[in-house]
Amino acid sequence: MTATLFIERPSGLHALNPLTKLTLALGAVVAAAALETLPSVLAVYLLVLVPLAAWAQILPRFLRTCVRVVWPFALSLFPIQGLFAEGTHILFSLGPFSLKAEGLRIAAFLTVRLLVGLGAATLLMLTTRPDHLMQSLVQRGFPGQLAYIVVTALQIIPGFQARAQAILDSQRSRGLETEGGPVRRIRALAPLVSPLLLGSLMDLEERAIALEARAFNHPGTKTSLTELHDGRAEPAVRMLLLVLILGIVALRFV
Amino acid sequence: MIEVRGLTFTYSGTDTPALQGIDLSIPEGQLCAVVGANGAGKSTLCYALTGFVPHFFHGEMHGQVSVGGRTVATTALADLAGEIGLVFQNPFSQISGARYTVREEIAFGLENLGIPRAEMPERIGEAVELTGLSGLEERSPYALSGGQQQRLAIASMIVMRPRILVLDEPTSQLDPAGSKEVFAALRALAAGRNTTVVLVEHKLEWVAAFADRVVVLAGGRLIADGPPAQVLAAADLEQHGVGRTRYTLAARQAQARRLRPPSADLPVTLDQAREFFR
Repeated sequence: MTATLFIERPSGLHALNPLTKLTLALGAVVAAAALETLPSVLAVYLLVLVPLAAWAQILPRFLRTCVRVVWPFALSLFPIQGLFAEGTHILFSLGPFSLKAEGLRIAAFLTVRLLVGLGAATLLMLTTRPDHLMQSLVQRGFPGQLAYIVVTALQIIPGFQARAQAILDSQRSRGLETEGGPVRRIRALAPLVSPLLLGSLMDLEERAIALEARAFNHPGTKTSLTELHDGRAEPAVRMLLLVLILGIVALRFV
Repeated sequence: MIEVRGLTFTYSGTDTPALQGIDLSIPEGQLCAVVGANGAGKSTLCYALTGFVPHFFHGEMHGQVSVGGRTVATTALADLAGEIGLVFQNPFSQISGARYTVREEIAFGLENLGIPRAEMPERIGEAVELTGLSGLEERSPYALSGGQQQRLAIASMIVMRPRILVLDEPTSQLDPAGSKEVFAALRALAAGRNTTVVLVEHKLEWVAAFADRVVVLAGGRLIADGPPAQVLAAADLEQHGVGRTRYTLAARQAQARRLRPPSADLPVTLDQAREFFR
């Protein structure tokens, strides 16, 4: 039971060190932010991210997730930019509002930029176990406690969802009405929220004790059962990517 | 070796002491069961033995608890971890949430202690074997049953090879088969590794069969201490909210119906019951 997007596949992309994938994703995001034309940004998606997803054997899932993540943004970007951006090519008018071609172009460009940014993050999450990503970051000085919070949030949330469902079911079985009008629904919240909240707080105390008992705050260097693979060329690839990223940032934004 | 001398503890914000004048000495390799009614102070004793009282749960503390020669109150929790293990009732909150397989979950404590990777597989294998988790190593901890999760919590502690293991009602969510496995594992741990095991438990039949010694708490005081056969058969046990084993109850009924002489010693285990009714 986990909230992570990770899908296990025997692929080359999966086998890469999490830091290499993180650097690749960062590179795609920076490229999307730096490039100024829609075709060039779209090319990053079609010629970099899509082939990488195919290499990772997760292309259909990658495309589906991208669409799901991006469409809510697109849904608001097109009307807002289309109606309120500056422009002279009016496509359609209704009273004081007019839909302009320039606004739609800006919306399309921003949507594709988001597609690349969120797509890169999606690809990273689909191919990398969060604990491995955090382990590689902690080995490079990322605070261990923060890494723990990130990783556990993804695993514990489904647990709390299951507990909320169990409370809901047990209260319903005792006759609590949870369906109907808004007033009835709001009234039904108290007997659901209080046990969930109290139970969670008690869990929190026990979890803190359990972590202490398992030496979470033990001084000294931590070790790891899992040895993260780092191919011979990977450090050089990461360095090259970082130089490219810094170069783009320096040329485009400084 | 655990030494408790004159321990009295009152939680902050309360007036009644949770523990009063406890004196207790538990040698290495002993499996000591703690029994008592709800509110008797059993969990507080567990926290005091592991340092969570007074480091985590604050209050007024008198007396001293020392484990392996170290005074618990003056030793940081982080330094006690690995030396003293604690397992409690709820398996869900004992899972770290940071690892994706049973094997990795068991290794979590070893990683925190900085144990070299090369040593880990052997220690994990041993803990898995001892707790009967073989075959589940690659499963998600969240995909296990409650009983399996509880055994995982125990495995996660014993892999750290603590000198003292304190367990607060670890079998409350286990079926009889699961409970027996846990008791057998704890027995093996105490006998084979010389680990001192302190076990809070309501299942008196198992306590009688597996513990070396039983301590009874009532109202924060230690009111009985001795071998299971002596303590669990004592006449005044029910006054303190502690039940009886089913063997003792059956024997008492037999005595009441004059099927057995009233002077005979009451049995607390199955073997003793067999002897009693022969």
